[in-house]
Amino acid sequence: MSEPKSGAAKGVIGQRLPLVDARKKTTGEAVYTDDIRLPNTLVGKILRSPHAHARIKGIDTSRALALPGVAAVVTGAENRANFGVLPISKDETALAVDKVIFVGDQVAAVAAEDEEIALEALGLIQVDYEVYPAFLQPEDSLKDVADPAHKIHARTVGETNVHKQVDQHFGDVDAALKDARIVRRGHFEFGSVTHAFTEPHCVIARYDTDGKLTLWSATQVPHYVHRALVEVTGLPMHAIRVIKPMVGGAFGGKSDPFPHEMAAALLSMKSGRPVKILFDREEVFLSHHGRHPTKTDIAVALDRDGKISGLDLKVLIDGGAWGSFGVVTTYYNGVLSAGPYDVSNFRYSGKRVYTNKPPCGAMRGHGAVNSRFAFEVLLDEIAEELGEDPCELRLKNFLPEYTTTINEFRITSNGIAEGMLRAMERSGWKEKYRQLPPGRGIGAACGFYISGSALPIHWSKLPQSTVHLKIDMDGGVTVHAGTADIGQGSDTMLAQCVAQVLGLPMSRLRVYTADSDMDPVDLGSYSSRVTFMAGNAARRAAEQIRTELIEAASRLTGYPAEGFVLEDELVVYTPLPRIRMSYMEALTEALADRGALIARGSYQSPPMGGKFKGAAAGLSPTYSFQSYISEVTVDEETGFVKVEKVWAAHDCGRALNPIAVEGQVEGSIHMGLGQLLSEQFRYHDGNVLNPNLLDYKTLSAKEMPEVECILIESGDPEGPFGAKECGEGPLLPILPSVANAIHDAVGVRIRRLPVTPEDILQGIQKNRMERSDVAAKIRVA
Amino acid sequence: MLLPRFELHRPSSVDEALTIAARHAGDCDFIAGGTDLLQNYKNRLNPRGHVVSLLGIDALQELSPTRIGALTTLARIEESETMRRELPILVEAASKVASPLVRQTATLGGNLLVETRCYYFNQSEFWRRSKGYCLKAEGDVCLVVPQKETCYAAFSGDMAPALMALGASARLKSLDGERIVKLTEFYEGDGIKRYVLRPGELVQGVELPPSATSLRGAYRKLRLRDTFDYPELGLAVTLGMEGEKIRELHVCAAAMETVPLCFDDLTGSLHGQPLSDSLIQLLGERIVKRVKPVKNTALSPNYRRKMVMVYLRRMLEQLATAGN
Repeated sequence: MSEPKSGAAKGVIGQRLPLVDARKKTTGEAVYTDDIRLPNTLVGKILRSPHAHARIKGIDTSRALALPGVAAVVTGAENRANFGVLPISKDETALAVDKVIFVGDQVAAVAAEDEEIALEALGLIQVDYEVYPAFLQPEDSLKDVADPAHKIHARTVGETNVHKQVDQHFGDVDAALKDARIVRRGHFEFGSVTHAFTEPHCVIARYDTDGKLTLWSATQVPHYVHRALVEVTGLPMHAIRVIKPMVGGAFGGKSDPFPHEMAAALLSMKSGRPVKILFDREEVFLSHHGRHPTKTDIAVALDRDGKISGLDLKVLIDGGAWGSFGVVTTYYNGVLSAGPYDVSNFRYSGKRVYTNKPPCGAMRGHGAVNSRFAFEVLLDEIAEELGEDPCELRLKNFLPEYTTTINEFRITSNGIAEGMLRAMERSGWKEKYRQLPPGRGIGAACGFYISGSALPIHWSKLPQSTVHLKIDMDGGVTVHAGTADIGQGSDTMLAQCVAQVLGLPMSRLRVYTADSDMDPVDLGSYSSRVTFMAGNAARRAAEQIRTELIEAASRLTGYPAEGFVLEDELVVYTPLPRIRMSYMEALTEALADRGALIARGSYQSPPMGGKFKGAAAGLSPTYSFQSYISEVTVDEETGFVKVEKVWAAHDCGRALNPIAVEGQVEGSIHMGLGQLLSEQFRYHDGNVLNPNLLDYKTLSAKEMPEVECILIESGDPEGPFGAKECGEGPLLPILPSVANAIHDAVGVRIRRLPVTPEDILQGIQKNRMERSDVAAKIRVA
Repeated sequence: MLLPRFELHRPSSVDEALTIAARHAGDCDFIAGGTDLLQNYKNRLNPRGHVVSLLGIDALQELSPTRIGALTTLARIEESETMRRELPILVEAASKVASPLVRQTATLGGNLLVETRCYYFNQSEFWRRSKGYCLKAEGDVCLVVPQKETCYAAFSGDMAPALMALGASARLKSLDGERIVKLTEFYEGDGIKRYVLRPGELVQGVELPPSATSLRGAYRKLRLRDTFDYPELGLAVTLGMEGEKIRELHVCAAAMETVPLCFDDLTGSLHGQPLSDSLIQLLGERIVKRVKPVKNTALSPNYRRKMVMVYLRRMLEQLATAGN
């Protein structure tokens, strides 16, 4: 079979390559956690709270334990250790301790010989509850509680259920609002959306006779799971091994260490046998950790020069039952609004509250999506009121490259203006805006996003990413990294970075990731950090090996090392290209008397940012930038929106693999449209009313518009081969660009998501009535 | 999710199926494609100890413009050239059920008898227990319209309104013999009772009057997504014209109430009249006034009622021009 010519002279960077695991995934050969079958494995099942808020007066597990086939039962009384993804809000336990705080909270866990026995055992556990009043609306959680016992967590602001409060002010927003040429204000409400990844949570824990705990889990941050397991099990870190098998999607929803992972570990330690817990879809919905619903009040001011002179944001964030990433979310709802425009005065007040609902957490576009929507819609309104082109208004206000934002983010490469101009040109914006027939409209919006959080969650001098390489006499290159490929293609990215430096085809690369015994620590797949950080680490490791191969070639030929390059499986002396040898010849020389080549590369963000409280939030070594234009048709009799086409310009620095980047852009658009048009948690009291994929309403392929990806390659000076993130930023502008297009089509402004056909129809009818009122007044006059 | 234990019976004839069902009267369900039943079983929604599979009964597989067997899959109807030519409304309705994968398995009989749906009923055992159950399964109070007499779960099949509008009848068989019941008389009662099917009686299929192929027909389905979803409104309209005048007009609707509705009492008096905008408006208003959806699906009852008018007008305009 002929080798694909992916290792051609140009190298593998920038090539449209299938992901390294694509064949295995499409044929079913890929091994996900649930595919792993260890001998003697018990089935773990979880008893969940039927109450939104209640005190546990007692749990009697004796009947469950007596059931033949039950190997172990655990409850919160046996392990009260706290954990949580952020060291500053560790408010979770493996199983509920003393009280339950949402419908679905884990009360007890059972390990049994099979699923039927485990389920029967759950039914035999007697729990005595004293039901407490439930806090279901975020406003209720702002108030002082009537009884201290009714605080959802002990550590809150005063006697309220406020988890985190952030207040920041840069410049003088009041003065900016007063002196403005125009100020627009709006109140926006955003529903609760979840990731809806394909693979349900699944974990296998095996505590073996050597006293070693191995955990296989569908996680995006094996390292944080590792840390949490230490706290819950009390085992030393080196006695715990965490492995992430193939993961079927995560989008932020697998970025916390989870109570079910802790429960599986405890059950295995108690029974001495492997325990597997696989969630059903309802459990995935209850586990949630999706986007925080917010109520957002915003004011945007434009000065007499047409510059954005003020941004005033006040956000109430419904956190659900746990802290999770919520402190970060609270900051991100504000700080990630300080661009991509040059905002000269900025104030943010954010409050995140606990409520008795499934916990919210990180979700693609974490913290930035809702405020971005409000900001971009108000910019459109301002443009409309001034009779200006909203794209031109944006072009006048973009941050330049290599600058600093008002809240001291270091901006490096920035291709947003180029993106805006190209999206305008490709979409025919100038011919379409305000000129399409009724029911058809076009709208624009922008965004920017972090390309890796510059500061790690746990303060440490350890690098944020480390990559190990090994090459032995077989000529294959083994990549070891702690990174978590969750479907986004980070394994492919690592292989590409290494193959590029070594001038090798992808077929020589083999990537082993996310096994804490075998691979160096990586902080995991969140904050869109992996390409930038682990990609740099991989490149640096490969450069060391390249040096060794070149030195070997220099020794063999007698020519100076400086002139050699590696390309196309050859080592070539460029001043005299006939002086060359194969990669294998150079390798054989390099291995002589020493054995396998090994190398280590790592990445640590440079110091940056301001000195004020909360200055670290939102800092990133670089940022991605987006400019989108969307065209829609709105059925004026039904209110249904059809998104016809999206021109999506995304500055990813450099597209290491354009297919992978386009996949992220298209996937982000699909996910963002769901939040805009159809997805939401519906509640009946504290119960999620639609905890299944039929009723939750993720959009289908049929609702997906045509997407024209316009990849802007601004070439980041610090990114690997110039690259920066593409996994989250592309979600931000789709919601407001479509909302602005809907306004262009039918004159309806959107203030509440998801917007239903009925909402749009009511808006159209209200407009008609107002118009006929005006007409009537004119007639009367 | 785990299925509850049941004994599966696999008869090869209708009579054998009926005999088994009679032997386990009260604790028995028939199963065809299972796309509806098994999901409900997993949720512990009225599972039975005995399940009689009809898949081995070849006699229920027929497909022609005058007879469709209960076991005919929706995909077969959708893909049939004959049906597309003779009764395109049925192809349209079948192609809008669930997803292509489900339609490979789901059958006509199953869609006619699809379990009525409600946010408060289609939930797991855990969910329903936490709310104290509902009238339709294990409880005694309706959680949508709080009272203890009537279940408001919505009829959510797409085939029934289309078949009703063509004048189809259900072919029923029990150990007592066969009977033919017009589909318009087949459905009655609330979200629990639903139809006139007697215990132990089997739907063998439907039969259509030969004149059905002379009607122009259309089926439209309101839903948030253009696949997967059950109807929030399923409207079937059939029209026969004699010159400029209406010879025959039927309007039937799914998902408005606990049974599919047929508005022949409102359309019958329109025969002989020209199909005008004002006639459509008046008919639409009467139907909208009649239907009473409740708040147990994704879209609001008020919106769903409003859409009856929009859909009716669009469909009649389409059918009127289709004949010219």
